[in-house]
Order: sequence, then C-alpha cells, then structure tokens
Amino acid sequence: MNVVMPQLGETVAEGTVSVWHKTVGESIAENELLFEVSTDKVEVEVPAPASGVITEIRVSVGETVDVGTILAVIDGPGEGTGERKPDTVAAPAAAASASATTASQYDDIRLSPAVRKLIGEHGIDPGVIAGTGVKGRITKADVLAHVSGGVPSTGIVTAGNRDARGQPLSPVVRRLLAEHGLDPARIPGTGKDGRIKRDDVLGFVNGGKPAAARSPGTGVPAGGQVISLSRIRKLTGDHMVRSKATSPHVLQAVEVDFARVERARTAHGAAWKSDRGFALTYLPFIAWSVCKAIGDFPHINASIVGDTLVLHDRVNLGIAVDLGFEGLMVPVAKDAQALDIAGLAVTIRDLSVRARDGKLSPDDLTEGTYTLSNSGPFGTLITAPIINQPQVAILSSDGVRKKPVVIESEDGDAIGIRPVGVLAQSFDHRAFDGAYSAAFLNRLREIIEATDWSAELG
Amino acid sequence: MATKKKKKATAVASSLANDDIGEARRLELYTTQLECRGVEQKAHDLFLQNLIKGTSHLGIGQEAIAAGFAVAMQPTDYTFCTYRGHNHTLARGASMTGVLGELMGRQCGLLGGKGGSMHLTSVEHGAMGSYAIIGAHLPIAMGAAWSAQYRGTDQVSICFFGDGTTNIGAFHEALNMSQIWKLPVVFVCENNLYMEYTPISEVTAVEHPAADRASAYGMERIIVDGNDADEIYRTAQAAFARARAGDGPSLIEAMTYRHSGHSRADPATYRPAGELEAWKKRDPIPNYRQRLLEFGIAESDIVSIENDVTRRIDEAVETAKASPPPAEEALMRQVWADGGSAWRN
Amino acid sequence: MAELTYREAVAAGIAQEMKRDPNVVFLGEDVAAAGGVFKTTVGLLEEFGPDRVRDTPISEQAILGAAMGAAMTGLRPIAEIMFSDFFAVCWDLVANEMAKSRYMTDGQVSVPVVIRTANGGGVRFGAQHSQSVENWAMAVPGLKVVAPSTPADVIGLLAASIRDDDPVVFFEQKSLYASKGEIPDGEHVVPLGQASVPRRGKDVTIVALAAMVPRALAAAEILAADHGIDATVVDPRTLVPLDTRTILEETVKTGRLVTVEENPRLCGWGAEIVSIASEEIFYDLDGPIVRITTPHIPLPSADALEDLALPSVERIVKTIRTSVD
Repeated sequence: MNVVMPQLGETVAEGTVSVWHKTVGESIAENELLFEVSTDKVEVEVPAPASGVITEIRVSVGETVDVGTILAVIDGPGEGTGERKPDTVAAPAAAASASATTASQYDDIRLSPAVRKLIGEHGIDPGVIAGTGVKGRITKADVLAHVSGGVPSTGIVTAGNRDARGQPLSPVVRRLLAEHGLDPARIPGTGKDGRIKRDDVLGFVNGGKPAAARSPGTGVPAGGQVISLSRIRKLTGDHMVRSKATSPHVLQAVEVDFARVERARTAHGAAWKSDRGFALTYLPFIAWSVCKAIGDFPHINASIVGDTLVLHDRVNLGIAVDLGFEGLMVPVAKDAQALDIAGLAVTIRDLSVRARDGKLSPDDLTEGTYTLSNSGPFGTLITAPIINQPQVAILSSDGVRKKPVVIESEDGDAIGIRPVGVLAQSFDHRAFDGAYSAAFLNRLREIIEATDWSAELG
Repeated sequence: MATKKKKKATAVASSLANDDIGEARRLELYTTQLECRGVEQKAHDLFLQNLIKGTSHLGIGQEAIAAGFAVAMQPTDYTFCTYRGHNHTLARGASMTGVLGELMGRQCGLLGGKGGSMHLTSVEHGAMGSYAIIGAHLPIAMGAAWSAQYRGTDQVSICFFGDGTTNIGAFHEALNMSQIWKLPVVFVCENNLYMEYTPISEVTAVEHPAADRASAYGMERIIVDGNDADEIYRTAQAAFARARAGDGPSLIEAMTYRHSGHSRADPATYRPAGELEAWKKRDPIPNYRQRLLEFGIAESDIVSIENDVTRRIDEAVETAKASPPPAEEALMRQVWADGGSAWRN
Repeated sequence: MAELTYREAVAAGIAQEMKRDPNVVFLGEDVAAAGGVFKTTVGLLEEFGPDRVRDTPISEQAILGAAMGAAMTGLRPIAEIMFSDFFAVCWDLVANEMAKSRYMTDGQVSVPVVIRTANGGGVRFGAQHSQSVENWAMAVPGLKVVAPSTPADVIGLLAASIRDDDPVVFFEQKSLYASKGEIPDGEHVVPLGQASVPRRGKDVTIVALAAMVPRALAAAEILAADHGIDATVVDPRTLVPLDTRTILEETVKTGRLVTVEENPRLCGWGAEIVSIASEEIFYDLDGPIVRITTPHIPLPSADALEDLALPSVERIVKTIRTSVD
C-alpha cells in the first residue's frame, strides 16, 4: 500500500515531512504513528493506513512535496487504495496573475475603468475579487484590498461570471458561493475543462475532502460523542480565525443606564406588540443610538484598505443572528442611519426572521460597515466580540438587569435601582486608539441615557 | 315573452277561428317582432352614445324570420344563429336587459360581458349561441340535431345564417352530413341580398344561394318571403314536422333585406339608389300591423301591446345602464368547467 | 396484468368508457366498419352498434361541428381526426369554437369533447402526414392537451379525458401504435396533469413526450452505461394541464435540464418548459438548458432523411454528453 502526502486543509497544496517514526524494513501496525507533516499553518502526526512492513521511504525529512505524492510503501495485507487521486487543486490566484491577463477578456462583467486599469496592471481575474460595491460590483477599493491581501468583505464573495481559470460559474454555483462566502479559487472543479459544478461546491462545503486522520495521541480523551461541524459553523470559524489574525483586537466597555429606554418600552410596548406582532426590545434603541454616535465619530464606521482608512457614508448595521445554536449569520440593515427607531425595529425583526428561516438573499449579507451582537436575552455580563471583517469595530450588548446605582444630585448621593447593562466594543487598533473608542462609547452612553425616547417613537 | 291576449269577439271572429295561425299566435308574432325592432333601435342609439363599444350587426328589417321561427318552435328546440343574432336570441325569450347589458359590456349581460354582441347565448332558452366565424355553426347545429336523434327526443335544431354562408365549406359539409344521417335540423338562409358589402349575386354561381343548392344535398327547394311572419311561421311548421317525423333536414331560403349596413361601421353606400326605399315599403312590422287590423284586432289592443313593449324596452335600457362593468375576477374565470383557468400546478 | 399494444389500448380505453356511460359516442372517418385506418378502433362498432360508433364522410369541419353540437346538448362525443396534420382543415372548430365557447358565454356552454388524432412522424408518410402538432393545441387557451407514451397511459388518460368536461385534444403518436406495454387490470384512469418519472438519476433531467420518451429512456441507459451520466427522465403526459411542479422538482435535484421534442424547433412545447424553468429555478441551474428537437423544416419522406430529422437516440446521447459535464 502506498502512503501519500495528505491534504491537510482545503487550500493546502503541499506539505513537508518533518519526522519519520519508522525506517525501511520496520514493521508497523495500522494506525500506529508513521510520520509527521508540517504545513505553513499546522503540524500533523500521520498514522499508518495499514499494517505491514515499510518497504520504501521515498521522501526524506525536510522535503516538501505536493499533496498526493507517494511518501512510502507498506507491504502487507489490507491492500487498499492508499493512493488517493490528487485533487485537481485550484490554481491559486497568484498563478493567474502570473499569466498577465488583460482586462478586455472580462468585458461581460461590469468593471469601471479604474478597476479595469488595476486588474490589468496586476493581472488579476476579477472573478476572484470580492465585490463590495452596489449589487456586488467590484470597486477600486476591492481590487486594492485583494492586492494587499485583505480578507473578503463580510465573509461573502460575490463572484463574477467566471472563475480564476476562466471557467464559467453557473447560477447555482454562484448562489452557493455567495451563500457560503466562498472564493471559487478554493474549489476544485470536476466539470468539463475543470468547471466548478454545483456538487463540487456542495462537496466542498460539506468538507468532502478526506483530511488525514488526526493522530489519536493529541491529548483528547477517547470516547464521548463526535459531532461533525456544520458548514455554517466551519465557515463562521474560518472567519473568526482570519479576523483575529488580521486585526489587533482591543476590548472596551461602558456600563449604561437603560432607565429611559425602559420607560419608553413600558409606555409603548403593549401597543407596539399588538400592532406589530412582536415585542419592542432594547436592540432598536441601541442601534439608533449607535448610528447617532457614529455621526460624531465616523472612524468607527470604516474599513482598512491597504494603508488607508476608508470611512463609509452609510451605516449598514450588521445584526448578528444566532441560528438555534447551529451557527451565526450577520444580515445587514442597510442605511440604518436613515431609519427611525420603529424602522430599525421592523428591519431588525425582518432580518432575524428571514435569517432563521433561511430566506436571506446574498444582498442581505453584504456591505455591512458596523456590527451589533446581542447576548442580552441570555443575561450575560460582558462579551468580547470578534470583529466582522473588513469592519474595524463591533459592539456587544449583554444583559440588562436592575442594579443598585449611585445617583448624584445637588442634595447629595443616593442609591437608586436602575436597569443597567454593559456595552462592549472590540475595535481594530490599526484604525484608531483607545481614546477615540472610549470617546465614542461615552457618546453612545450619553445618547442612550439622555434621549427623549417617546418623542423618537412618535 | 308576449302577453297572451284573450280573443275578442269581432265582426270577423269566424274567419279568425278558421285561420290556421290564429289570433293568439299572431299577437305573439307581432309582439316578438316589435321587441326585436325596439331593442335593435335602442342598440343603434346606444352605439351612437358610445355606450356600446366595438361593433354591432343589427338585424333591423329581418325580424319576421326570427319571430316566425321562434313562435313556431318548441321551447326545447335548439337554435343557432350568426353574429347578427340579437333578434334570434330575444325571440327565444332571453331578457332584453340581458341582451342590452351584454352589448354594453355590463355585469347584467347575458354573458357577463365576456362574449359581446356577436356571441349572444341563452342556453336556458335553447339559444345555443351566436357565431362569428361564417359557417362554423352549421355543423354545430347539426351536432345538436344528432344528439336529439341519439337521445330519441323530438327536439329540432334550427340554424340561421346569411346568404354569404352558402359559399363556405362548412355549409356544404353540414348539409351533406345532415342529409345522410337524416338529422332533425332546419337550415334557414336569410338572404338579404348582400354578402357583407358585396351583392350576393356577384359571388355565387347560382341565383338563389341556398335554395338552388338544396337539390345537391337531396333537399327540397324552398324560397319564402322573409318579411311575412305568417309565411315564415307556416314554412317553419312544415319543416319542424318533417324533422320530428324523422324525415331529415330542410333548407329554407327566406328573402329579406337589412335596413342598416352590414355592421355599425358600414354606411352601406354600395346599395343602388332606391333599393332601400323599395324594401322599406315591405317592412315586415308595419305590414304585419296592417294585417292584424285586417284580421279584426282592435287598434287599441295593438297600441296597448306597442306601449307595453316600449315600456319594457325603456326599463331594460335603464336597468342595463345602471349595471356595473364586470368585476376583475370575471377575467380569469370559466375557461374550464371547474370555473377556473389554471393550466399548471 | 395484460399486455396490449398502444393501438389496442386505444380501443380498450374507448370501450371502457363507452361501457360505463351511454352518453359516450364516437365518430370519424373509417372508424366504425374498418376499425380505423390505424386499426385503433377495431371491435367498437360490433360492441356498441351503429348508433354510437359512426362513420362519416371526409368532412373534418362537420365531424368536429357535430361533436361540439352534441357535446353542448348532453352527449360526450369522441371525434377522430385521422392525421393531426388535418387539424389545419378544421382548426376553426377547435381553436375558435370549442376552446372559447365556455369562456365567451361565461360558463353557460359546456363542451365535453375528446378529439383523438394520430400525431407524429417516423413512419415515412411525408410532410403532410407526419407532423407533431401538440404544440399548436397547447398554444390555444381553453384546450386540454394529452400525449401518452405507453399503452397503459393511453387507456388511463383516454378515460380521464372522456370524463373531463372540457375539450381535450388527445394526441396518439402513430410511431408508437405497435409498441407494447402492460395494462393494469380493471378500470384504469390516470388523472390529467400528472407527469410520470420513469427513470431517476442525479446528473441531468430529461423531459420528453410521447414517442420521444422511449428514445430518452434508451439514451439514458447508454449515457449511464458508457458515459457515467445518470439521467432522470420525466414524461409530462399532458401539456395542458402541465405538471410543472414535478418537472421543476426533478430539475432542481439534478441542476440540469434537457428537453426532447418531436416538434420542429420554433415554439415547440419544450420552449415553454424552458421558459418556466429559467424563470422559476434559475438559481438552481448548474448549466444552460438545452432543447433537442426536430430541425425547423417540413419532414422529408425518405427513411434515411426522416431518421436524421427526428431526435434519435444517438443524437440525444451525443447532445447530452457534450452539454452536460
């Protein structure tokens, strides 16, 4: 049986043997540790696929070979197909750029002159660029972000009509790519001329590539229940890892007195609920206040593109929605700055319902500029959220509960009981410093505590 | 329908009693012709007031044929007529409000506004449709006769059409097949001398477009004055008797004239000077009125009938005018027997 | 279960309904004494008598007119138009009269007629006796359009058509008359508007009608055995009412759609299905939709030429191989 270089990640194309635990002539049992492989991300111990005697070792320590290369041969019973077919790995974007593509090949995709110039200069296939413009159009900033290695916007890629290899992307493939936030360059195509087919995307999403079996000796206790990570969870996980790797996160928090909000909720809540069919929660008030505070602190609502901080005119609020503990989606309330509280409440409600019903469109998930994450219903104290790239900050609202607070007055201090909650912002320290963020949070608190909410509710 | 008048004792009562038609039938014939004429004239006026849209084919001048056959037939008989079918539909008993309403495209129309002037139908009265494609209804009328024969009833199917129809293929197919199957169908050609805008003589190989073709289909040559309701009545009775006895189809050519153009769009300038005036002297209605007087029916009774008809027509016009246009849901209904129009799931 | 030929199934279906309902009558050219020029109505005159099974002169307009008049007045006639090409002679009765009378009279008039006709080519009869014109009927609002591909469906759909209160045009494909199939025992009725799915696969959905169904199935076997393409075959069986739900569901499963139509190219029935699919399941399509049809020409009579014109098993295989990856 042939022992081959395993594929240790979807984008991993090669690996380096770092340790051989056996030598030629030694016998080995199935699942016994045989060798170790290192890639730029991870080190893995690889067990033997079968029992037998090592008759050949073809690749030595320190040698880097492609996935699928035969590393060793075991002679013994249980001859199976140890030789896995090397996947037709997608040519990385770098290879495409090396072939100096010209912009005129992509006349069927709407590209502005500036974009055309850039992709021509850099030899990029626009199909691999995440478009953050209107209806997923590729903007100049998108091209620059791609060139500088920025991560895709809000995790969702709106692919053009063709992939990096120039192969067509069918409607269902494009939809699936958008839904799952995938770069087609990562997906091997098994269709004609390497076209990505629907099943290729579905297979990829479901983690179809068999990864090397993890060595049992990694300190995880045996037994217990094994749960496959769902595709949404894996996607979310990927985003989180990338985000932390990209932005230096700083956490800052303020404690907010929600008394006025609570009064407004009490006064208007019953009528609201009977008119609209759903409850008036804290979140629309927080969202409204955030938009107002951003008006005074515009750097909060921005993205880092190369060496620039791009301030966004619109406040497109991402609302993190939990899907029954099965994963996270962040639909976007577009132009939240133009909505009043009622409008925000209705929009947030609609997005949440549609997210849970699986009825969001790709447009609902793009162009976010700031995100709100709400753990309030669970009564948590504080959360340190992870920034939703390519934004530069994210706010978490947690539980609001009655607490004793000191109320200052001319007649002296007294203890009162107020509904209090912590708002915590994680921000990207590349964009601004703690003082700016603190000033924003202070302003946010002021707005929530001092606004005449009944007037705003009308 | 006509109000039946009691027979009044007059000086000529004995001749009335001996007459094959009789006073009651005659009053029915007169009333029916009046109703037809009155409604058609209203239709003319309403068209000028732009309350009737599209086109209308008026049968003014040809009432005697519709009335004569209608009075002679049984309520269970079937009639089929052309797009010039207002008279024929009214004569079977369809309501004036229904006819006028349909012409004006209102909810109270016989067809709910769905069919219009050219397709007046009242199945409950045996009026099985007005047909706008020349000749199409001849074989359809034949089919109704076949159905009666198959079911063993004594129903007759009567088919009205114009002189122009005699030159289209379906005419010949229907006559031939009706004869070989001996079907109880009566074909009535209303020869008003013009096929649309052209004199019939210019487009027909024989002088009498229907009667001169009868022998080709084994039928008797029958020509009758289409403007004499009594003659029509008698001719109709004879044809019905033949049909009900199982002796097969008849082809009747009734000579008449239409006072207006082919349709509302036609000013009829193709008619030679004087022709219309000559035929107007043979206008069936004033002539029939005169005959009623000669038969001893009192002028006051006649006037009473005329007033009653006028009143009923005026009421019908007002009712129809007040009726709203069809509701939107009428658009998609009744393509299929289930009342809907769905072609997919 | 008995086995009957498609042509025997026609007579069996008519007989089943004529036994059931004394109002069912039947007329056409050479249908009674001769049992039909395609021998599809053998035995009916003997079983039901000359009042119910009638031969007519060569008078298509009169045949259909008689059927319509009888249908309007209580009977349930079946009329035969010998070759579907002849519809052109009497299309007024079908499209202007039968199809429209109920609508124009807002429901006063009922026309429960079934017009049976021998449709399609492949039998070397030449251009005026070989056309597939089910698409003509599909295009007229007010007509139901049926096109069975198997003897069992002939009986079942004929029964449903005769029991239907609307005008139905029943297209028998003459090239299928000799084909055989199993017939269920007892009374058999297949509701209109239900497609059948004689084969399920995962790579492509082929929608085929009438004589093209067996060809699509044969092509599917070759595609599976030799080319690793596993096809679903959907037989709509009726074009109006159309089982769009089944067609779309089966297409979403595979992501690819191909139609196989005997009509000439322009405005064949498949064009409508393609339009519906591209509008309603666009985002589930993994590639362009392809139609396989006869070219847009009259049909030639020489057998070598006619076989090139009609979609052959070979052409179906080749087209799917090149378009479905």
